[in-house]
Amino acid sequence: MEAAKKLAGPVVLKAQVLVGGRGLAGGIKFGEDSEEVGKLASQVLDTPVKDERPSALLVEQRLEVTRELYAGVTYDYRQKRPVVLASSRGGVDIETVARENPADMAETRIDPFKGFNCYQARELAAEIQLTGNELVQYSNILSALWNVFRKHDAELVEANPLAVLPEGKLVALDAKMSLDDKSVARQSSMLNRIGRIPPSQTEGLEARRARAKELGIPTYIEMQGNMGIVADGAGSGMLTLDLVTDYGGKTRVYCEMGGETTAELMENTLLAALAVKDLRVVLINLIGGLNLMDEMAKGITSYLRKHPTKVPIIVRMSGTNQDEGRRILTAGGIRWFDSLDEAVEKAVGVSRGH
Amino acid sequence: MAILIDRGTRALVQGITGKVGSFQTKLMIEYGTNVVAGVTPGKGGQKVDGVPVYDSVHQAVKETSPEVSICFVPGPYAADAAMEAVDAGLRLVVVVAEAVPLSDTVKMLALASERGSFVLGPDTAGLISPGRSKLGVQPHRLFTEGNTGIVSRSGALSYETAKTLTESRIGQSTVIGLGGGPVWGFTYRDALELFRDDQATDAVVLLGEIGGHMEEEVADYMAKGYPKPVVALVVGRTAPAGQKMGHAGAIVQQGRGAAQDKIAALRNAGAVAVSAPREIPDVIKRELHRRHHC
Repeated sequence: MEAAKKLAGPVVLKAQVLVGGRGLAGGIKFGEDSEEVGKLASQVLDTPVKDERPSALLVEQRLEVTRELYAGVTYDYRQKRPVVLASSRGGVDIETVARENPADMAETRIDPFKGFNCYQARELAAEIQLTGNELVQYSNILSALWNVFRKHDAELVEANPLAVLPEGKLVALDAKMSLDDKSVARQSSMLNRIGRIPPSQTEGLEARRARAKELGIPTYIEMQGNMGIVADGAGSGMLTLDLVTDYGGKTRVYCEMGGETTAELMENTLLAALAVKDLRVVLINLIGGLNLMDEMAKGITSYLRKHPTKVPIIVRMSGTNQDEGRRILTAGGIRWFDSLDEAVEKAVGVSRGH
Repeated sequence: MAILIDRGTRALVQGITGKVGSFQTKLMIEYGTNVVAGVTPGKGGQKVDGVPVYDSVHQAVKETSPEVSICFVPGPYAADAAMEAVDAGLRLVVVVAEAVPLSDTVKMLALASERGSFVLGPDTAGLISPGRSKLGVQPHRLFTEGNTGIVSRSGALSYETAKTLTESRIGQSTVIGLGGGPVWGFTYRDALELFRDDQATDAVVLLGEIGGHMEEEVADYMAKGYPKPVVALVVGRTAPAGQKMGHAGAIVQQGRGAAQDKIAALRNAGAVAVSAPREIPDVIKRELHRRHHC
């Protein structure tokens, strides 16, 4: 409310969340005066956007706008190159423009060694029919977006809508940036500087997801069911999920650890998976190349030593150092399978009370 | 014959002195891979398992003439190392590291395509021509030499499938992991082109997963007519939409990249679609038998 008073006049309130589709979910509201803003603020803060509760609110001056443009940089995965996108239609997502009004957009694929030059930005501005001062401003914004994209290893940087004000000035009303997960290591100084928006203090799914992330588990997904799946590879994990469904089982929580896993991560993954209440069984599918089966077995037995559980744990284990891994499991009283089908069938049976 | 690597293929290991690099080098040598040199900047002159280590790829090339490389250099430095190998003229570089920044990956792939070298990966298990040579991290006892080629995005899924084939006495000519995506150097299509002309390969197993466009692209290629039977399995049929399923490239977004679409495209292009590895051996036997008799 303080912020709204300082701005004076009509304002916009925007929920700060890390997912798209905020406007449609009720995460953006317009207010006329500070009294109304107070009411709207608590409304917005109480409205989750795709399961995510807003952790903060951005209050901005509401601007009068003559029209809206789009400017963005992302990757064309098919061409294996960055692509700079320009459109005279803002406020809608660019995929929709590409599908419905392709004449209103222009794009340039970038040679990663040559980069994106200012003249290319001006060409794009001209292609979407901008002229004069608008052309100059727009192409400067495109160049700036490209610089941010490169400097911070983004997968996407976009200004949408990019508004044209009555006096001819271009202003980004909203911006979105997705960082490349694989660049986190070298972007740590920036990530530390901006800090992460703290997850809100709610219980349940959000808290469990945040915990899984803290524990270093690459993939943690909850569904409606009663089985836990843990896998040490994306493809074999998805196969396990498909087979469980085919055999008539229902997955409650799915954890995938990546192909290069330590005993500690194995242990942490069980910690995260078994934090979900009322699991009937946990199925662990391990088929390692880089991943060492003796390490995995140590992770499993160590978890069970520290956290004895009544939930049956069924392990399928194959791959590098499998003999030693299986020996450790057997010594720890844990049943293991060589065949994935047999392990899945057994686990599904247990989940259905057989 | 097999594709890409065979008995005697001269291999370089980049990042040979690291924990993973040295362990996997030992396993490759045990398997019979002809590892002629290793590279770790600053450790030139050392030896790992009897393999001489050089400071740069160019030095290693000058002294030992490797043709292909496997790169265990960690993510932030992996693309630079791979470009060094491409620049030195190696025809194939396997990039194992998972977390290679996308901006580096596109540079590496642009250079490789300019020079006509193959980059396998990033985030790949590599490749193995069972009984001949291995340039990867596969648990090789699950594999046997034979007449079926396998190409998979996921390493683990290729191990699972090779294990199933081996247990049914179907050996493999070459097994290739393409990597987790979302961009790939070497593709399904590249693999199918090489398998087509390979005399050791009679049938191909194509292991796909949700997300991206590579399965559809290879289906377009196959639709023009492919001379060998192709069995296709696409995993992630029951994965929830909008979730990244462990590979950066494995996500169904705005209805695109769904398993059903990929299965339909591959089936329309002439592949036999199956829903689990256990179904693959019988399909291969049936298809080879059928073709043999007509």
